[in-house]
Amino acid sequence: MGRKLDRVRLITDTSQFMDLMLGDVVEMEGHRFLIKGVTYEGRFGLDEEPKHWVKRAVDWETGEAKIIKLVFYEEFDLPIGKLKVRCYRSPAKEARILELVKDHPHFMHGQTLRDLKGNIVRVLDIVHGGPFERNLANLAADHQAYYQGHLHRVLQKLLPAFEGIGYLHGQGQRHGDIRRDHLFDCADSGLMRWIDFDYNFEFHENPYGLDLFGLGNVLCYAVGRGIPTLPELKRERPEVLNDLDTGDLSLIIPNRVFNLKRIYPYIPEELNRVLMHFAASATVFYERVTEILADLRLAMGTLPQAQEDAE
Amino acid sequence: MILWNRVLVGVDGSDHGLNAVRYLAAVLGGSSNCKVRLLAVHVPIAADDPALAQDRKTRDIERRITLEERLLEAHRLLVEARVAQENVTSELVEADGSRGVGEVIMEAQREGGYGTVVVGRRGLSKAEEFLFGSVSNTVVHRATDCCVWVVG
Repeated sequence: MGRKLDRVRLITDTSQFMDLMLGDVVEMEGHRFLIKGVTYEGRFGLDEEPKHWVKRAVDWETGEAKIIKLVFYEEFDLPIGKLKVRCYRSPAKEARILELVKDHPHFMHGQTLRDLKGNIVRVLDIVHGGPFERNLANLAADHQAYYQGHLHRVLQKLLPAFEGIGYLHGQGQRHGDIRRDHLFDCADSGLMRWIDFDYNFEFHENPYGLDLFGLGNVLCYAVGRGIPTLPELKRERPEVLNDLDTGDLSLIIPNRVFNLKRIYPYIPEELNRVLMHFAASATVFYERVTEILADLRLAMGTLPQAQEDAE
Repeated sequence: MILWNRVLVGVDGSDHGLNAVRYLAAVLGGSSNCKVRLLAVHVPIAADDPALAQDRKTRDIERRITLEERLLEAHRLLVEARVAQENVTSELVEADGSRGVGEVIMEAQREGGYGTVVVGRRGLSKAEEFLFGSVSNTVVHRATDCCVWVVG
Protein backbone atom coordinates (compact mmCIF):
# COMPACT_ATOMS: atom_id res chain seq x y z
CA MET A 1 0.00 0.00 0.00
CA GLY A 2 3.03 2.25 0.09
CA ARG A 3 2.69 3.03 3.79
CA LYS A 4 4.21 1.30 6.75
CA LEU A 5 1.64 -0.02 9.20
CA ASP A 6 3.62 1.27 12.19
CA ARG A 7 3.14 4.84 10.94
CA VAL A 8 -0.64 4.73 10.89
CA ARG A 9 -3.23 4.72 13.62
CA LEU A 10 -4.59 1.22 14.02
CA ILE A 11 -8.22 1.30 15.09
CA THR A 12 -9.78 -1.78 16.65
CA ASP A 13 -12.81 -0.11 18.23
CA THR A 14 -14.95 1.75 15.68
CA SER A 15 -17.58 2.99 18.14
CA GLN A 16 -16.45 6.61 17.78
CA PHE A 17 -16.77 6.71 14.02
CA MET A 18 -16.46 10.50 13.89
CA ASP A 19 -12.87 10.11 15.10
CA LEU A 20 -11.85 7.81 12.25
CA MET A 21 -9.74 9.90 9.94
CA LEU A 22 -8.29 9.68 6.50
CA GLY A 23 -5.22 7.42 6.72
CA ASP A 24 -6.37 5.44 9.76
CA VAL A 25 -6.38 1.68 9.47
CA VAL A 26 -9.31 -0.28 10.87
CA GLU A 27 -8.57 -3.81 11.96
CA MET A 28 -11.35 -6.35 12.38
CA GLU A 29 -11.11 -10.12 12.63
CA GLY A 30 -7.66 -10.08 11.05
CA HIS A 31 -8.67 -7.85 8.13
CA ARG A 32 -7.28 -4.33 7.73
CA PHE A 33 -8.79 -1.44 5.83
CA LEU A 34 -7.22 1.93 5.10
CA ILE A 35 -9.71 4.77 5.52
CA LYS A 36 -9.84 7.02 2.45
CA GLY A 37 -12.67 9.35 3.39
CA VAL A 38 -16.38 9.59 4.06
CA THR A 39 -19.31 9.11 1.71
CA TYR A 40 -21.99 11.68 1.04
CA GLU A 41 -25.75 11.43 1.22
CA GLY A 42 -27.15 11.16 -2.28
CA ARG A 43 -30.72 11.72 -1.30
CA PHE A 44 -32.78 14.46 -2.82
CA GLY A 45 -31.33 17.82 -1.99
CA LEU A 46 -28.82 16.51 0.54
CA ASP A 47 -25.98 15.85 -1.87
CA GLU A 48 -23.32 17.43 0.27
CA GLU A 49 -24.31 15.90 3.60
CA PRO A 50 -21.45 13.68 4.79
CA LYS A 51 -22.31 10.26 6.19
CA HIS A 52 -19.58 9.94 8.79
CA TRP A 53 -20.50 6.38 9.67
CA VAL A 54 -20.00 5.26 6.07
CA LYS A 55 -16.35 5.38 5.04
CA ARG A 56 -14.57 4.89 1.77
CA ALA A 57 -11.74 2.46 2.34
CA VAL A 58 -9.23 0.17 0.73
CA ASP A 59 -8.51 -3.41 1.70
CA TRP A 60 -4.96 -3.28 3.06
CA GLU A 61 -4.05 -6.67 1.58
CA THR A 62 -5.72 -6.63 -1.81
CA GLY A 63 -5.95 -2.93 -2.56
CA GLU A 64 -9.61 -3.38 -3.41
CA ALA A 65 -11.87 -0.39 -2.80
CA LYS A 66 -14.57 -0.96 -0.20
CA ILE A 67 -17.32 0.89 1.57
CA ILE A 68 -17.27 0.41 5.33
CA LYS A 69 -20.53 0.94 7.19
CA LEU A 70 -19.91 1.48 10.87
CA VAL A 71 -22.48 1.10 13.59
CA PHE A 72 -24.68 4.16 13.89
CA TYR A 73 -27.84 3.78 15.91
CA GLU A 74 -30.51 6.31 15.19
CA GLU A 75 -34.25 6.14 15.58
CA PHE A 76 -36.57 8.65 13.99
CA ASP A 77 -39.95 9.27 12.40
CA LEU A 78 -39.68 8.80 8.66
CA PRO A 79 -42.19 11.04 6.89
CA ILE A 80 -44.01 9.28 4.07
CA GLY A 81 -46.51 11.63 2.56
CA LYS A 82 -48.70 12.75 5.43
CA LEU A 83 -47.85 9.69 7.52
CA LYS A 84 -44.91 9.08 9.78
CA VAL A 85 -43.26 5.75 10.31
CA ARG A 86 -41.05 4.97 13.29
CA CYS A 87 -37.80 3.86 11.77
CA TYR A 88 -34.40 2.84 13.08
CA ARG A 89 -31.09 1.80 11.61
CA SER A 90 -30.25 -1.80 12.22
CA PRO A 91 -26.73 -2.99 11.40
CA ALA A 92 -27.81 -6.48 12.44
CA LYS A 93 -30.63 -6.48 9.90
CA GLU A 94 -28.34 -5.35 7.10
CA ALA A 95 -25.81 -8.00 8.10
CA ARG A 96 -28.54 -10.64 8.02
CA ILE A 97 -29.57 -9.63 4.52
CA LEU A 98 -25.99 -9.45 3.27
CA GLU A 99 -25.56 -13.06 4.30
CA LEU A 100 -28.86 -13.98 2.68
CA VAL A 101 -28.07 -12.35 -0.67
CA LYS A 102 -24.36 -13.12 -0.91
CA ASP A 103 -24.95 -15.02 -4.15
CA HIS A 104 -27.88 -12.98 -5.41
CA PRO A 105 -27.08 -10.86 -8.47
CA HIS A 106 -29.58 -8.11 -7.68
CA PHE A 107 -28.20 -6.94 -4.35
CA MET A 108 -25.03 -5.29 -3.17
CA HIS A 109 -22.56 -7.72 -1.67
CA GLY A 110 -20.24 -7.60 1.27
CA GLN A 111 -19.16 -9.26 4.47
CA THR A 112 -19.83 -8.50 8.09
CA LEU A 113 -16.93 -8.18 10.49
CA ARG A 114 -16.90 -7.37 14.18
CA ASP A 115 -14.41 -5.04 15.75
CA LEU A 116 -12.97 -5.65 19.21
CA LYS A 117 -16.03 -4.07 20.84
CA GLY A 118 -18.35 -6.36 18.91
CA ASN A 119 -19.66 -3.63 16.59
CA ILE A 120 -21.31 -5.08 13.50
CA VAL A 121 -19.33 -3.51 10.66
CA ARG A 122 -20.38 -4.13 7.10
CA VAL A 123 -17.60 -4.16 4.51
CA LEU A 124 -19.26 -3.64 1.16
CA ASP A 125 -18.05 -4.22 -2.38
CA ILE A 126 -18.32 -1.14 -4.53
CA VAL A 127 -21.33 -1.23 -6.84
CA HIS A 128 -20.09 0.35 -10.05
CA GLY A 129 -22.73 2.29 -11.89
CA GLY A 130 -25.32 4.76 -10.80
CA PRO A 131 -28.93 5.11 -9.72
CA PHE A 132 -31.18 3.33 -12.17
CA GLU A 133 -32.81 6.45 -13.50
CA ARG A 134 -29.51 8.12 -14.29
CA ASN A 135 -29.50 7.14 -17.95
CA LEU A 136 -33.22 7.26 -18.61
CA ALA A 137 -33.15 10.93 -19.55
CA ASN A 138 -30.56 10.27 -22.28
CA LEU A 139 -32.38 7.39 -23.90
CA ALA A 140 -34.76 9.43 -26.03
CA ALA A 141 -35.71 12.99 -26.80
CA ASP A 142 -39.24 12.78 -25.48
CA HIS A 143 -41.48 10.39 -23.56
CA GLN A 144 -43.19 8.96 -26.61
CA ALA A 145 -39.85 8.03 -28.17
CA TYR A 146 -38.77 6.58 -24.81
CA TYR A 147 -41.98 4.56 -24.66
CA GLN A 148 -41.66 3.31 -28.24
CA GLY A 149 -37.99 2.44 -28.18
CA HIS A 150 -36.84 1.83 -24.63
CA LEU A 151 -39.49 1.21 -21.98
CA HIS A 152 -39.80 -2.51 -22.73
CA ARG A 153 -36.07 -2.97 -22.23
CA VAL A 154 -36.03 -0.84 -19.08
CA LEU A 155 -38.79 -2.95 -17.55
CA GLN A 156 -37.03 -6.12 -18.64
CA LYS A 157 -34.09 -5.03 -16.51
CA LEU A 158 -36.30 -3.85 -13.69
CA LEU A 159 -38.39 -6.99 -13.25
CA PRO A 160 -35.56 -9.25 -12.02
CA ALA A 161 -34.71 -6.60 -9.41
CA PHE A 162 -38.34 -6.69 -8.28
CA GLU A 163 -38.07 -10.48 -8.12
CA GLY A 164 -35.07 -9.93 -5.82
CA ILE A 165 -37.29 -8.05 -3.38
CA GLY A 166 -39.79 -10.89 -3.62
CA TYR A 167 -37.00 -13.29 -2.71
CA LEU A 168 -36.18 -11.16 0.33
CA HIS A 169 -39.79 -11.16 1.47
CA GLY A 170 -39.92 -14.92 0.98
CA GLN A 171 -37.11 -15.13 3.52
CA GLY A 172 -39.04 -12.98 6.01
CA GLN A 173 -36.87 -9.91 5.39
CA ARG A 174 -37.59 -6.53 3.87
CA HIS A 175 -35.41 -3.99 2.17
CA GLY A 176 -36.83 -1.15 4.23
CA ASP A 177 -35.78 1.80 2.10
CA ILE A 178 -36.74 1.17 -1.49
CA ARG A 179 -36.25 4.27 -3.54
CA ARG A 180 -34.79 4.89 -6.92
CA ASP A 181 -31.36 5.98 -5.72
CA HIS A 182 -31.08 2.69 -3.85
CA LEU A 183 -31.39 0.74 -7.09
CA PHE A 184 -28.17 0.80 -9.07
CA ASP A 185 -27.81 0.13 -12.76
CA CYS A 186 -24.48 -1.68 -12.78
CA ALA A 187 -22.03 -0.69 -15.44
CA ASP A 188 -20.20 -4.04 -15.47
CA SER A 189 -23.04 -6.58 -15.42
CA GLY A 190 -25.87 -4.50 -16.82
CA LEU A 191 -27.98 -5.75 -13.91
CA MET A 192 -29.94 -3.67 -11.43
CA ARG A 193 -28.89 -4.11 -7.82
CA TRP A 194 -30.43 -2.96 -4.57
CA ILE A 195 -28.22 -1.21 -2.06
CA ASP A 196 -28.59 0.06 1.52
CA PHE A 197 -30.95 -2.09 3.53
CA ASP A 198 -30.22 -1.10 7.12
CA TYR A 199 -33.55 0.61 7.79
CA ASN A 200 -35.90 -1.34 9.97
CA PHE A 201 -39.32 -0.66 11.41
CA GLU A 202 -41.44 -1.77 14.26
CA PHE A 203 -43.94 -4.47 13.51
CA HIS A 204 -46.77 -3.76 11.09
CA GLU A 205 -49.64 -6.01 10.18
CA ASN A 206 -48.34 -6.00 6.62
CA PRO A 207 -44.56 -6.07 7.09
CA TYR A 208 -43.95 -5.60 3.37
CA GLY A 209 -46.25 -2.64 2.68
CA LEU A 210 -43.47 -0.07 2.78
CA ASP A 211 -41.39 -2.05 0.32
CA LEU A 212 -44.37 -2.37 -2.02
CA PHE A 213 -44.91 1.36 -1.81
CA GLY A 214 -41.27 1.87 -2.81
CA LEU A 215 -41.60 -0.54 -5.73
CA GLY A 216 -44.66 1.38 -6.93
CA ASN A 217 -42.66 4.59 -6.98
CA VAL A 218 -39.75 3.00 -8.83
CA LEU A 219 -42.12 1.48 -11.36
CA CYS A 220 -44.00 4.71 -11.93
CA TYR A 221 -40.70 6.52 -12.38
CA ALA A 222 -39.58 3.96 -14.95
CA VAL A 223 -42.82 4.07 -16.91
CA GLY A 224 -43.12 7.85 -16.86
CA ARG A 225 -39.39 8.53 -17.02
CA GLY A 226 -40.05 10.51 -13.90
CA ILE A 227 -43.17 10.85 -11.79
CA PRO A 228 -45.09 13.91 -12.91
CA THR A 229 -46.11 16.20 -10.09
CA LEU A 230 -49.01 18.62 -10.08
CA PRO A 231 -46.78 21.73 -9.91
CA GLU A 232 -44.75 20.47 -12.88
CA LEU A 233 -47.85 19.77 -14.92
CA LYS A 234 -49.32 23.12 -14.05
CA ARG A 235 -46.17 24.74 -15.32
CA GLU A 236 -45.46 22.60 -18.36
CA ARG A 237 -48.66 20.88 -19.45
CA PRO A 238 -51.60 22.71 -17.89
CA GLU A 239 -54.00 21.24 -20.46
CA VAL A 240 -53.81 17.77 -18.85
CA LEU A 241 -54.88 19.04 -15.44
CA ASN A 242 -58.49 19.18 -16.59
CA ASP A 243 -58.49 15.43 -17.11
CA LEU A 244 -57.08 14.62 -13.69
CA ASP A 245 -58.89 14.03 -10.45
CA THR A 246 -57.69 13.13 -6.97
CA GLY A 247 -58.10 9.42 -7.68
CA ASP A 248 -55.33 9.69 -10.28
CA LEU A 249 -52.78 10.78 -7.70
CA SER A 250 -50.51 8.69 -5.53
CA LEU A 251 -52.32 7.21 -2.55
CA ILE A 252 -49.47 8.17 -0.27
CA ILE A 253 -47.93 11.31 -1.79
CA PRO A 254 -50.83 13.18 -3.32
CA ASN A 255 -49.00 15.60 -5.55
CA ARG A 256 -47.61 12.79 -7.70
CA VAL A 257 -49.65 11.61 -10.65
CA PHE A 258 -49.82 7.83 -10.97
CA ASN A 259 -52.48 7.64 -13.67
CA LEU A 260 -49.90 8.16 -16.38
CA LYS A 261 -52.36 7.26 -19.13
CA ARG A 262 -54.01 10.62 -18.56
CA ILE A 263 -50.73 12.28 -19.46
CA TYR A 264 -49.35 9.79 -21.97
CA PRO A 265 -52.45 8.27 -23.63
CA TYR A 266 -50.44 5.67 -25.56
CA ILE A 267 -49.53 3.81 -22.36
CA PRO A 268 -51.43 0.50 -22.51
CA GLU A 269 -54.27 -0.08 -20.11
CA GLU A 270 -52.60 -3.26 -18.80
CA LEU A 271 -49.55 -1.33 -17.64
CA ASN A 272 -51.47 1.65 -16.36
CA ARG A 273 -53.65 -0.69 -14.29
CA VAL A 274 -50.58 -1.81 -12.37
CA LEU A 275 -49.76 1.80 -11.51
CA MET A 276 -53.34 2.46 -10.47
CA HIS A 277 -52.98 -0.06 -7.64
CA PHE A 278 -50.82 2.63 -6.00
CA ALA A 279 -53.23 5.47 -6.74
CA ALA A 280 -55.73 7.10 -4.42
CA SER A 281 -58.63 5.51 -6.30
CA ALA A 282 -57.32 1.97 -5.72
CA THR A 283 -59.75 -0.36 -4.01
CA VAL A 284 -57.45 -3.36 -4.02
CA PHE A 285 -53.82 -3.15 -2.97
CA TYR A 286 -50.95 -5.39 -3.83
CA GLU A 287 -49.88 -7.42 -0.83
CA ARG A 288 -47.06 -9.41 -2.41
CA VAL A 289 -44.36 -8.69 -4.98
CA THR A 290 -45.47 -11.75 -6.91
CA GLU A 291 -48.81 -10.03 -7.57
CA ILE A 292 -47.11 -7.00 -9.07
CA LEU A 293 -44.83 -9.19 -11.14
CA ALA A 294 -47.71 -11.27 -12.52
CA ASP A 295 -49.52 -8.15 -13.70
CA LEU A 296 -46.33 -6.59 -15.04
CA ARG A 297 -45.45 -9.64 -17.09
CA LEU A 298 -48.86 -9.48 -18.73
CA ALA A 299 -48.41 -5.77 -19.36
CA MET A 300 -44.98 -6.33 -20.92
CA GLY A 301 -46.65 -8.17 -23.76
CA THR A 302 -48.52 -5.03 -24.72
CA LEU A 303 -45.45 -2.80 -24.96
CA PRO A 304 -43.65 -2.01 -28.19
CA GLN A 305 -40.23 -3.61 -28.43
CA ALA A 306 -37.20 -1.91 -29.91
CA GLN A 307 -36.12 -3.39 -33.25
CA GLU A 308 -32.97 -5.02 -31.87
CA ASP A 309 -34.89 -6.57 -28.95
CA ALA A 310 -37.55 -8.02 -31.19
CA GLU A 311 -35.00 -9.72 -33.46
CA MET B 1 -66.13 -29.25 12.64
CA ILE B 2 -66.97 -25.56 12.49
CA LEU B 3 -69.65 -24.50 14.98
CA TRP B 4 -71.33 -21.12 14.69
CA ASN B 5 -71.70 -20.75 18.44
CA ARG B 6 -67.98 -21.08 19.08
CA VAL B 7 -66.92 -17.46 18.94
CA LEU B 8 -63.34 -16.18 18.69
CA VAL B 9 -62.82 -12.52 19.58
CA GLY B 10 -59.66 -10.60 18.70
CA VAL B 11 -58.75 -8.20 21.51
CA ASP B 12 -56.04 -5.60 21.06
CA GLY B 13 -54.77 -2.68 23.06
CA SER B 14 -57.20 -0.21 21.51
CA ASP B 15 -60.71 0.88 22.38
CA HIS B 16 -61.90 -0.48 19.04
CA GLY B 17 -61.23 -4.02 20.15
CA LEU B 18 -63.32 -3.43 23.28
CA ASN B 19 -66.09 -1.89 21.19
CA ALA B 20 -66.27 -5.16 19.31
CA VAL B 21 -66.61 -6.98 22.64
CA ARG B 22 -69.37 -4.57 23.76
CA TYR B 23 -71.25 -5.26 20.54
CA LEU B 24 -70.84 -8.97 21.04
CA ALA B 25 -72.02 -8.65 24.64
CA ALA B 26 -75.14 -6.85 23.47
CA VAL B 27 -75.89 -9.57 20.93
CA LEU B 28 -75.10 -12.54 23.17
CA GLY B 29 -76.44 -11.12 26.43
CA GLY B 30 -78.07 -13.91 28.44
CA SER B 31 -76.91 -16.57 26.04
CA SER B 32 -76.04 -19.95 27.49
CA ASN B 33 -75.16 -21.84 24.34
CA CYS B 34 -72.24 -19.77 23.02
CA LYS B 35 -68.65 -20.35 23.98
CA VAL B 36 -66.46 -17.27 23.62
CA ARG B 37 -62.68 -17.27 23.39
CA LEU B 38 -60.99 -13.90 23.89
CA LEU B 39 -57.66 -13.83 22.11
CA ALA B 40 -54.97 -11.17 22.35
CA VAL B 41 -51.81 -11.43 20.28
CA HIS B 42 -48.61 -9.92 21.55
CA VAL B 43 -46.03 -9.21 18.87
CA PRO B 44 -42.65 -8.54 20.46
CA ILE B 45 -40.83 -5.49 19.16
CA ALA B 46 -37.74 -6.56 17.25
CA ALA B 47 -34.72 -5.67 19.34
CA ASP B 48 -31.79 -6.81 17.29
CA ASP B 49 -29.61 -3.87 18.27
CA PRO B 50 -28.25 -3.80 21.81
CA ALA B 51 -28.36 -0.02 22.07
CA LEU B 52 -32.14 -0.06 21.70
CA ALA B 53 -32.87 -3.32 23.44
CA GLN B 54 -33.66 -1.95 26.89
CA ASP B 55 -36.10 0.66 25.60
CA ARG B 56 -37.85 -1.95 23.47
CA LYS B 57 -38.02 -4.41 26.34
CA THR B 58 -39.71 -1.79 28.51
CA ARG B 59 -42.24 -0.98 25.80
CA ASP B 60 -42.82 -4.66 25.21
CA ILE B 61 -43.67 -5.21 28.86
CA GLU B 62 -46.02 -2.21 28.80
CA ARG B 63 -47.80 -3.55 25.73
CA ARG B 64 -48.19 -6.95 27.30
CA ILE B 65 -49.65 -5.46 30.44
CA THR B 66 -52.10 -3.42 28.35
CA LEU B 67 -53.22 -6.54 26.50
CA GLU B 68 -53.72 -8.43 29.76
CA GLU B 69 -55.81 -5.55 31.14
CA ARG B 70 -57.91 -5.47 27.97
CA LEU B 71 -58.56 -9.18 28.18
CA LEU B 72 -59.77 -8.81 31.76
CA GLU B 73 -61.98 -5.89 30.75
CA ALA B 74 -63.42 -7.84 27.81
CA HIS B 75 -64.11 -10.80 30.08
CA ARG B 76 -65.88 -8.54 32.57
CA LEU B 77 -68.05 -6.97 29.82
CA LEU B 78 -69.27 -10.36 28.64
CA VAL B 79 -69.99 -11.68 32.12
CA GLU B 80 -71.84 -8.47 33.01
CA ALA B 81 -73.97 -9.06 29.91
CA ARG B 82 -74.92 -12.42 31.45
CA VAL B 83 -72.84 -14.62 29.24
CA ALA B 84 -72.11 -17.57 31.50
CA GLN B 85 -68.71 -17.18 33.08
CA GLU B 86 -67.77 -20.78 32.36
CA ASN B 87 -68.35 -20.11 28.65
CA VAL B 88 -65.79 -17.30 28.42
CA THR B 89 -62.09 -18.04 28.22
CA SER B 90 -59.11 -15.76 27.56
CA GLU B 91 -55.70 -16.26 26.09
CA LEU B 92 -52.70 -14.07 25.41
CA VAL B 93 -50.48 -15.58 22.75
CA GLU B 94 -47.00 -14.59 21.70
CA ALA B 95 -46.40 -14.12 17.99
CA ASP B 96 -42.95 -14.50 16.54
CA GLY B 97 -43.08 -11.36 14.43
CA SER B 98 -42.97 -13.20 11.13
CA ARG B 99 -46.76 -13.28 10.81
CA GLY B 100 -49.36 -10.61 11.23
CA VAL B 101 -51.86 -10.56 14.08
CA GLY B 102 -54.67 -11.36 11.64
CA GLU B 103 -52.89 -14.50 10.52
CA VAL B 104 -52.42 -15.64 14.10
CA ILE B 105 -56.13 -15.05 14.81
CA MET B 106 -57.16 -17.07 11.78
CA GLU B 107 -54.79 -19.87 12.68
CA ALA B 108 -56.48 -20.03 16.08
CA GLN B 109 -59.85 -20.03 14.32
CA ARG B 110 -58.92 -23.04 12.21
CA GLU B 111 -57.34 -24.95 15.06
CA GLY B 112 -60.22 -24.28 17.44
CA GLY B 113 -63.00 -24.78 14.90
CA TYR B 114 -64.54 -21.40 15.67
CA GLY B 115 -67.55 -20.60 13.49
CA THR B 116 -67.61 -16.90 14.26
CA VAL B 117 -64.73 -14.45 14.45
CA VAL B 118 -65.21 -10.96 15.87
CA VAL B 119 -62.70 -8.14 15.44
CA GLY B 120 -62.80 -4.38 15.83
CA ARG B 121 -61.89 -1.94 13.11
CA ARG B 122 -59.63 0.98 13.91
CA GLY B 123 -60.77 3.05 10.96
CA LEU B 124 -57.43 3.33 9.24
CA SER B 125 -57.15 5.54 6.22
CA LYS B 126 -56.58 3.89 2.86
CA ALA B 127 -52.99 5.07 2.92
CA GLU B 128 -52.38 3.56 6.36
CA GLU B 129 -54.05 0.34 5.33
CA PHE B 130 -51.84 0.07 2.26
CA LEU B 131 -48.59 0.87 4.04
CA PHE B 132 -49.12 -0.91 7.34
CA GLY B 133 -51.86 -3.43 6.71
CA SER B 134 -55.00 -4.01 8.73
CA VAL B 135 -55.89 -6.87 11.06
CA SER B 136 -59.59 -6.82 10.13
CA ASN B 137 -58.68 -6.88 6.45
CA THR B 138 -56.40 -9.86 6.93
CA VAL B 139 -59.08 -11.68 8.89
CA VAL B 140 -61.70 -11.05 6.22
CA HIS B 141 -59.35 -12.16 3.45
CA ARG B 142 -58.25 -15.33 5.24
CA ALA B 143 -61.73 -16.43 6.31
CA THR B 144 -62.98 -19.40 4.33
CA ASP B 145 -65.16 -21.46 6.65
CA CYS B 146 -66.50 -19.05 9.21
CA CYS B 147 -68.49 -15.90 9.68
CA VAL B 148 -66.56 -12.70 10.41
CA TRP B 149 -67.99 -9.73 12.27
CA VAL B 150 -66.02 -6.56 11.79
CA VAL B 151 -67.21 -3.99 14.30
CA GLY B 152 -66.37 -0.42 13.35
